Formats: sequence, C-alpha cells, structure tokens
Amino acid sequence: MLNITPEEDRELRKLLTELAKESKSKIVILIDKSGQLISRSESPAFSSDDITFASLTAGNVAASEALSKLLGDKDLNHMFTETEEEGIYMILLDGKYILVVIFDKDSSNLGIIRVKIKRFYPKVKELIERIEERTEKETTVSSDINVEEIDLDSLFE
Amino acid sequence: MSFINFATKEINCKIVYYGPGLSGKTVNIKWIYEHVRPENRGELVTLATETERTLFFDFVPIEISNVKGFKVRFHLYTTPGQIIYQASRKLILKGVDGIVFVADSQEERHDANLDTLDDMIENLKDYKMDIEKIPLVIQYNKRDLPNALPVDILRRDLNRWNRPDFEAIAIKGVGVLETFKEITKQVLRKLKE
Repeated sequence: MLNITPEEDRELRKLLTELAKESKSKIVILIDKSGQLISRSESPAFSSDDITFASLTAGNVAASEALSKLLGDKDLNHMFTETEEEGIYMILLDGKYILVVIFDKDSSNLGIIRVKIKRFYPKVKELIERIEERTEKETTVSSDINVEEIDLDSLFE
Repeated sequence: MSFINFATKEINCKIVYYGPGLSGKTVNIKWIYEHVRPENRGELVTLATETERTLFFDFVPIEISNVKGFKVRFHLYTTPGQIIYQASRKLILKGVDGIVFVADSQEERHDANLDTLDDMIENLKDYKMDIEKIPLVIQYNKRDLPNALPVDILRRDLNRWNRPDFEAIAIKGVGVLETFKEITKQVLRKLKE
C-alpha cells in the first residue's frame, strides 16, 4: 500500500507540472504498475479520463515488458506510442512506477521530452522513494477512514 | 496495491474477477456498470476480440463518495479466461487487493474451474501473495442451468479456504451485487489492518 500526504501531493504535482511546462507537453502523469493514478501535472486543458488512461497504460507497459522478457531481454526501460497528432512517451521509474508524458507533435518532440525527463527523473524518483519510506513506517491507516460507514447500496439505482 | 491520497481524499483499490473462459466475469462487471448510478462510475473499457471474448482485460472504475469526505474508488478488472491467455492473466493480477473467483457451475466445466484455480494460486505465488491472506470471494455462476453441479461439490473443490461464497445467475444479476459487496468489504477491512 502507498499513501500520499497533502504536502507530498503538492510537491509531486509541482514537479510534474514543471516537467510538463519545460518539455512543452500537454500533461505528465505518474502511475503505478498495477494501473493506479498516483499524480498528474496541472493541465486543465487535458480532458481525457485519467483513471482509464492509467489502467490502459499499465496494461500496455505490462504487455510490452512481458514481450521483452520473452525475447530474452531483461527489462523494458521506456516505450513510445505515436498517434496522428500526439506522442505518448512512457518511462519506467524504479521498476514500480510509470512516468507518462503526452505531447502535441506540433509543439514538442521526443528528443526534447527525453532530455527534460533526464533532468526531472532523479527528482521524481527521490520524492517517490521518500513517500514509500514514510508509508512503510506507518503501521495503521488513518482513523479518518471508517469502513463500516461505506454504504454500497447508495451506489445503485 | 491500494493507494490512498490524503490530499484529494481518495482511496483506490484493485479488484480482479478471475475464472475459466465463459464463466461470466465480464457479465458480472457489465451488470455492475449498468446498474451503478452514472455519477459513480467511470468508463467501461473492454479489450475483446470480435466475438466478444476478453482478449486482455475489461476495466471499470466504481466510485463511492462521502465516506467522511473520502472517495473510495474500486478498479474492477476481469482476466481473459481462455487457457491460451495465461501470460495476460498473470499481468492483470499485479497489485491486486481482492479477487472474485467466478466459477462455472456446469458439470462439464468443472475441470476448467479447477485448472483456473490452480493457475491463479500459482500466479499469486509468483507475486509472493498468499491465497489464504488475500481478500477472496467465490461465486458459483450459472445456477439456472440444468447441468449445474450441486453447490456442495463446487464448494468442496473450489472453496478450500472456507471463504464467503455466493450462488449466482450473473446474466440476470442474481448474486452479482452480493458478491461485489462482500469483496469490497473484505478489501476495505484489510486496508485497515
């Protein structure tokens, strides 16, 4: 389990937003390999469904990773998907997370993205390691969350 | 892996519907999707073949708000049931917080139930997860079919850990909600431990 405090969330968002700005990309998203969205840059113009995007990206990366293992390679480091107008660059972070950059091909390119990521990668890695360490030390989940109060019946029509 | 964001007050958990081919995993999550209020659900994604067999996975996020201001989001996944997709099944189990094993009650599919259960246990072991510790619900689906095995036999063979189990006719929605409620309860309880 991983949890993020408001302060860490702000730091993470700030880093991802800086990376998005400097690389002139539309949005930068950090997800974990099981498909959970951890954080994203402040990118109001990006309207796609983040949650679905994270799940599909994790599936995509997992399949490519399995393919590379099948070919006898050890690890997948990064991958790139190109649509007509956009580029999606995915790089593995610490073997557990995926940093995803989506950019408009008119305003940026893969070279710029990779150069900028090189600069930000250690910072994001350091921060996420710090979050992991703190999460590990915590033995209980906040008492704010009361399982018994969750009314599943309210979900259905 | 569950993920809690105290800034956005969100709790995220991953639930996987596992089971042999054509046992009704996709039917389960489609029923949930269709009966949940639109404001509580995300997009339903199905990566399926032209004949509607699951190729990689189906996915739908279900959200519940106002739990002391927290929003709980359950990410529901199904696995492809067919034997050839063993590798894909394993990928989807990564970081799972709870499993629903959807068994096909029909006598001629019982071997497939057993094989898939073994396959699931092996995959969990590879991720260093213990089936005895992970939240788990067994669902005996297709109870309305004439060739359905008695529940006692299914229970003896598939529910070796004496976990909560339910009879279902997923296509009519029978047992679907009960199964979903039980797994979410177990997942949240585990989160508190």
